Amino acid sequence: MDALVLENVSKSFGDVRAVDKLSVQVPAGSVYGFLGPNGAGKTTTIRMIMNIIRPDKGLIKIFDDGATTQNKARIGYMPEERGLYRKMKVGKVLAFFGAIKGLSASELNFRVPQWLQQVDLTDWTNKKVEELSRGMHQKLQFAVTAINNPDLMILDEPFSGLDPVNQDLLKDIICRMRDEGKTILFSTHVMHEAERLCDFILLINKGKAVLDGRLDDIRSRYKSGAVSVELEGDTSFIRALPMVKTAETQGRRIEISLSEKADTQDLLKALVGRVKVKAFEVKIPSLHEIFVRLVARPEQPVVSEVEPGRRGRDNVEDS
Amino acid sequence: MWKILKIAQREYLDVVKTKTFILSILMTPAIIGVVIFFSSRTQRSVTGPQPPRKVVIADLTNQLTDDIKDSFEQHNKSHPQRQILLQEILTDIGSDEPIKQKVRDGQLNAYFVLDKDSIEGNGKIQSFTRSTKIIDLDLISNVESLLNSAIFNRRCKLKDVSQELLAQISELRRRVPNEIIDIGSASEQKKIEKGEQIAKIMASFFFMFMMFMGIFGMGQHMLTSVIEEKNSRVIEVLLSAVSPFELMAGKILGLAGISLTVMSLWSAAAIGTAYYGAAHWWNITLELPMGILPYFVIYFILGFLLFSSILAGIGSICNTLKEAQSLMMPISFLFILPMLVWFNIAQHPDGSLARILSFLPPLTPIVMTLRLAVSQDISLLEVFASIIMLALFVPLVMWLAAKIFRTGVLMYGKRPGLREVLRWLKSA
Repeated sequence: MDALVLENVSKSFGDVRAVDKLSVQVPAGSVYGFLGPNGAGKTTTIRMIMNIIRPDKGLIKIFDDGATTQNKARIGYMPEERGLYRKMKVGKVLAFFGAIKGLSASELNFRVPQWLQQVDLTDWTNKKVEELSRGMHQKLQFAVTAINNPDLMILDEPFSGLDPVNQDLLKDIICRMRDEGKTILFSTHVMHEAERLCDFILLINKGKAVLDGRLDDIRSRYKSGAVSVELEGDTSFIRALPMVKTAETQGRRIEISLSEKADTQDLLKALVGRVKVKAFEVKIPSLHEIFVRLVARPEQPVVSEVEPGRRGRDNVEDS
Repeated sequence: MWKILKIAQREYLDVVKTKTFILSILMTPAIIGVVIFFSSRTQRSVTGPQPPRKVVIADLTNQLTDDIKDSFEQHNKSHPQRQILLQEILTDIGSDEPIKQKVRDGQLNAYFVLDKDSIEGNGKIQSFTRSTKIIDLDLISNVESLLNSAIFNRRCKLKDVSQELLAQISELRRRVPNEIIDIGSASEQKKIEKGEQIAKIMASFFFMFMMFMGIFGMGQHMLTSVIEEKNSRVIEVLLSAVSPFELMAGKILGLAGISLTVMSLWSAAAIGTAYYGAAHWWNITLELPMGILPYFVIYFILGFLLFSSILAGIGSICNTLKEAQSLMMPISFLFILPMLVWFNIAQHPDGSLARILSFLPPLTPIVMTLRLAVSQDISLLEVFASIIMLALFVPLVMWLAAKIFRTGVLMYGKRPGLREVLRWLKSA
């Protein structure tokens, strides 16, 4: 069953095509990452899924049957720009959003402390939202999104502004929710986040899908055929093996480049017995590499791994 | 419905709990109290004892000196609290410039010149004042009648009219006192004292003012609330859980709660004060037109729904409070209009102006409250017709506002123009 289906969805703002004939199927129970540089159309797509803006063309189906409006109770949405009532207390905000998402008072009594504990904000229950640091605010926003245990979580840039410890905290929660059968769709422009978390990815650039599918499949499709080995014994025969294109010794290791269609397992078989294999590493291409290979022009680095200047309690003053 | 109530509850607590709200609730009656206190002080200074006023009179007829002195003496005897001191009586005005100067300097309150042929011809009195105070007008009319009575006495003497005849004439001219009796409402007849009439007018103004404040006073909260949610992007989270209509309905409901809280607190305070004040200070029995209360509630609910829907619509298409306020200007004027003509309506509750304004939906609640408070003669037919008309108009406006709200609340950036808003209304 698909939790979410997009068919040929397009949206233009004036002359700019923000999303161009995008089709995606998000299977239930998976973690799906929308990846792409800033301005690729990720947020626009998510806002169309949430029915905040309407697509010019195309069809969006949620849980096979309905539109977003009919399934509000089953969806949790965390917008890109975080917003909560600044003057309300942390516990009260969580309880309010739980209530308008249809939780009963008894459920709230149980879930609010539970979620505050999960995102490590128990000590802040009676503090006002405006007193929270940016990272804490974001964790609270996540708790608001997840409080009613929705079947589909849609998170727009959930990790931006979080320190590594809190990023891991969030990732653990996401993984646990996936194990419980929930579907999580999130967008990010930081590739390695997706790499560790996603079952499926969609790479978007300039509103178009560049790459879509299971992460493992994509990796094997874009495998570079590079193997790094550390061997003991006479290694001169390697260059002569039929599947080997080139082999270069770099320090203790030998970097082997395989010819096309060659299987890394054949190489391993050929090595075992003749030399002692101390290390054998199939080089998996990172999403970053794949992405750069697909869309980035050399003079214009599109992907930044680290977001600058988005740490700490930097939102305390702007109240 | 649960969601709407939750939103309403949050909205209510959000406003009611703030210190500024508590302060404003306490401050407004306090300010009104201070105003009433000072206005009653100035009222007392009109009726209470006044410092004696000084005047100079130039009698160019040269015959009236004694009569004038007599009439001033009589006046001062019978009005010990408002003495008018006759400083001097001149018989020519050749050297009156120093006297005019004294008036300018404030050493004299006024200077009067009686023309030469005032007794038999068409002479007139000229009054010189530095009148900046209303009190001086009072002085002038007093002196005018004093001079006239002096002239009257003089004329009588010239025509040989005897004192006895004069006494007879004045006995014949005795005025019959007039007593105004209200038989309008009950079988029991009662005299209308002047104070009561004023109290009645004030009560009607009070009802109208409460209606105005109740409907209009919440406007600011509605705009702030919508725009704040828009700016902080809470709106996206909210709308992922509730429909725009639920959100708008919740907001209106919450604000209505606030409005009712404020109104009941103020009314209780005001009515309590009025009854106490009427009994203890003004010695009148006050009868507030409590019979209009059910109508008041109906008109309030409809008027509140109307105005707050309009505001929700306006708030939703604006990004800053400033933008919203400039858009609100024409609408505010519409609601303030009855305040500008309230006196006219209070005096002629069945006049055509009152009737016409009653059937302009945004004005209906305020105008009808005022009319009902001031007169018992408004026909029930007219009351129900205006309620029905309003009740038809309100859902229409709410429906339009909800459409605008739905699209506008998620729009950022430039404020949409009228044409675009109309397009939303057509498309959605």
